[in-house]
Amino acid sequence: VSTNLTSRKAQRVPTKAVSKEIERIDQLFYTYADGSSSMIDPEGIETLCSHLEVPHTDVRILMLAWKMGCEKQGYFTLDEWRTGMKALRADSISKLKKAFPELVQEVTRSSNFQDFYPYAFRYCLTEDKKKCIEIPVACELLNLVLSLQFRPQVEKLINYLKHQNEYKVINMDQWMGFLRFCNEINFPSLDNYDADQAWPLILDNFVEWLRASEN
Amino acid sequence: MCRSAYNMVLHKYGEKLYNGLESTMTWRLKEISKSIEAAQGGLFLEELNAKWMDHNKALQMIRDILMYMDRTYVPTSHRTPVHELGLNLWRDHIIHYPMIHGRLLDTLLDLIHRERMGEVINRGLMRSITKMLMDLGPAVYQDDFEKPFLEVSASFYSGESQEFIECCDCGNYLKKAERRLNEEMERVSHYLDAGSEAKITSVVEKEMIANHMHRLVHMENSGLVNMLIDDKYEDLGRMYTLFRRVPDGLSTIRDMMTSYLRETGKHLVTDPERLKDPVEFVQCLLNEKDKHDKIINVAFGNDKTFQNALNSSFEFFINLNNRSPEFISLYVDDKLRKGLKGATEEDVEGILDKVMMLFRYLQEKDVFEKYYKQHLAKRLLSGKTVSDDAERSMIVKLKTECGYQFTSKLEGMFTDMKTSQDTMQDFYAKKSEELGDGPTLDVHILTTGSWPTQPSPPCSLPPEILAVCEKFRGYYLGTHSGRRLTWQTNMGTADIKATFGKSQKHELNVSTYQMCVLMLFNTSDGLSYKDIEQATEIPSTDLKRCLQSLACVKGKNVLRKEPMSKDISEDDTFYFNDKFTSKLVKVKIGTVVAAKESEPEKQETRQRVEEDRKPQIEAAIVRIMKSRRVLDHNSIVSEVTKQLQARFLPNPVIIKKRIESLIEREFLERDKADRKLYRYLA
Repeated sequence: VSTNLTSRKAQRVPTKAVSKEIERIDQLFYTYADGSSSMIDPEGIETLCSHLEVPHTDVRILMLAWKMGCEKQGYFTLDEWRTGMKALRADSISKLKKAFPELVQEVTRSSNFQDFYPYAFRYCLTEDKKKCIEIPVACELLNLVLSLQFRPQVEKLINYLKHQNEYKVINMDQWMGFLRFCNEINFPSLDNYDADQAWPLILDNFVEWLRASEN
Repeated sequence: MCRSAYNMVLHKYGEKLYNGLESTMTWRLKEISKSIEAAQGGLFLEELNAKWMDHNKALQMIRDILMYMDRTYVPTSHRTPVHELGLNLWRDHIIHYPMIHGRLLDTLLDLIHRERMGEVINRGLMRSITKMLMDLGPAVYQDDFEKPFLEVSASFYSGESQEFIECCDCGNYLKKAERRLNEEMERVSHYLDAGSEAKITSVVEKEMIANHMHRLVHMENSGLVNMLIDDKYEDLGRMYTLFRRVPDGLSTIRDMMTSYLRETGKHLVTDPERLKDPVEFVQCLLNEKDKHDKIINVAFGNDKTFQNALNSSFEFFINLNNRSPEFISLYVDDKLRKGLKGATEEDVEGILDKVMMLFRYLQEKDVFEKYYKQHLAKRLLSGKTVSDDAERSMIVKLKTECGYQFTSKLEGMFTDMKTSQDTMQDFYAKKSEELGDGPTLDVHILTTGSWPTQPSPPCSLPPEILAVCEKFRGYYLGTHSGRRLTWQTNMGTADIKATFGKSQKHELNVSTYQMCVLMLFNTSDGLSYKDIEQATEIPSTDLKRCLQSLACVKGKNVLRKEPMSKDISEDDTFYFNDKFTSKLVKVKIGTVVAAKESEPEKQETRQRVEEDRKPQIEAAIVRIMKSRRVLDHNSIVSEVTKQLQARFLPNPVIIKKRIESLIEREFLERDKADRKLYRYLA
């Protein structure tokens, strides 16, 4: 059933099929949600993941969170759940599972990826750390989000971040810099990297480190 | 005869007359050429000259006689005027006569050569001959004499310069070159055409100077460097004058001088021996500057390009040592503390002006400011300044150089000193009854922010001192509510009257810490380190230094230590040294003198300087971005550098860090389209 859910008419008078779909989506939500908070909490997500047969640290869960527009890491609200499931046209575990390959494709399309990438960063921010994420977290996130497309760069970068001791946290500007670096700079030659341009300092240091370790 | 000629022309016999003249003259000249050819040796030239004189006379007469023809027939028939004809014929039949042509040139050149080799020749004759050639036409002079003359001269000087350079030292070579140059100029003035001067001097310059410039300047033991070292003003002046004549001559000298200065300077500022005494070190720099200023003045005619080269060299090597700012401040401190004692106002100005010259070379003027403040504070608080006027004069010079901001805090320090004086006067005027016979207090009230930041470590003052201090605090806060006073016990001094042995009275000038320690012995004869530490609360490093100065220094040991070891240990015991003696009634034990910082102190100061720079860099970035709105990275770096260069040279890496910090704090953002640009966020 293809219904134009964005037209006002349709919203005001949902078809029977559509309301059934919403019902199933909601029901699915409540099977994982925590009774008191009426949100799916980390435990619930873990259960969801085991049903989906996807490890809960898998990047696809992060992509799902993005699709849902989740604001808080580890928690899905009903609205977010609805948004995501509708967009993926899934109202059951099996349909959701089938939707993953297409989701992955969608996210890695560069226009979406430009949005997904900073989202992944923001998703890791906490109440205490509102602007930066700690190095170990950054490393894991890089691995999760970039290693498919840019394995060699990510490996080296993670290695560097673990070894250096000048920076203890990464901010959004630096995070975005990493993506730009992977997209624009020839690797491993680094021949088009110009330290006099506006690259974040951490990347200047990274390149210096790379070049030094070559000799 | 004129009439006959006149008549001939009148009756249309002009052509016949002219041709007749021409053929007659030609025939006559051919005869003359033979006679000249026949002349032997030295007489050749004389004969030629004599015949030339005759010919000229004849030409004069002929021209007069045939004047009518010259004016009528000659122009209409487009023939050469008579006089000119006479010259041309002379040229063609005498000068260019094969038997004469070569011989003439050879003779002339030979005479010149002999004169160069020291012989005396007949200059008058030479003059006459060359004048003859010029009269025949500049082309004749040039082709038949000047060109070959220049060629031969070139090869002569090429050979001679080669010979000289092998056997002469630089100074002597230059003397010889100068002599030859002068000779040639004199030669021209005596018997060559004036137009030859520039050409022959050019030859000498090229062969003797230009071709050997580098070898001369670099000559071992006698080249430029040696001349500079030995202040050989005359030789240097000669080199300057000569080299000025050739392309790149002066720049050769200048470049060599620059690289020599940079090398020497570099060694000077990195030599550990020199750096042991900062005052000596700076004096050395000043001496070097004076020496080379004099050279440029006396030998190089105050040439501005050389002055600039000197300045840039100094600027280069002074900044190679990052302690230069500290050392220059210490030099000034030494002068203002004792060096300028008894000096006239002129002397004072002279020395301070010279110091300002060095100051201008500093890249890190903010570091100098920090040290100057520290040293000034010590001078003011210990009252150890040679002259208030000299102090003020220095401040004025710094203000003129760097602006009001640089010196406002320093001036604040002076103000505090004066205000404190007034305050103390008022305090004693009002409270003298209350205070009675207690210790006399002299308080300097320092405005935080004007004075170098000091920690205020704990210290337990003796009760009688504490009492009067609290009275002062009460008085002060009574008239200045809302302020807070903190006693800087680590910066004070005290004068104590002490009696040793059999009523040996001395007055001890000590630091506040030392006073606290000594006063304890009013009630005990012996105290352990721990006792003293507990009673005074002075931090242990300072306490150890304090006890060392009271117990372990010969001539100042008012305390006795057991055991008698060199260093202070926490198990030591101290006793009042009843046996202390000194020739002086007033014994100075405390020292608040400025000294070269120890390594850890230096690191601390450097850190503070770096911290101070961060906000300055950020302020500059924000100012620039506010006005430009959008700017690329390199432009920001160069603008910031330009704005701050009067104080210090910012590190581009630090600039980048500050930009990133400003991005994080949302003062700036990266442009979304072009990531090389930054945008100002209002």
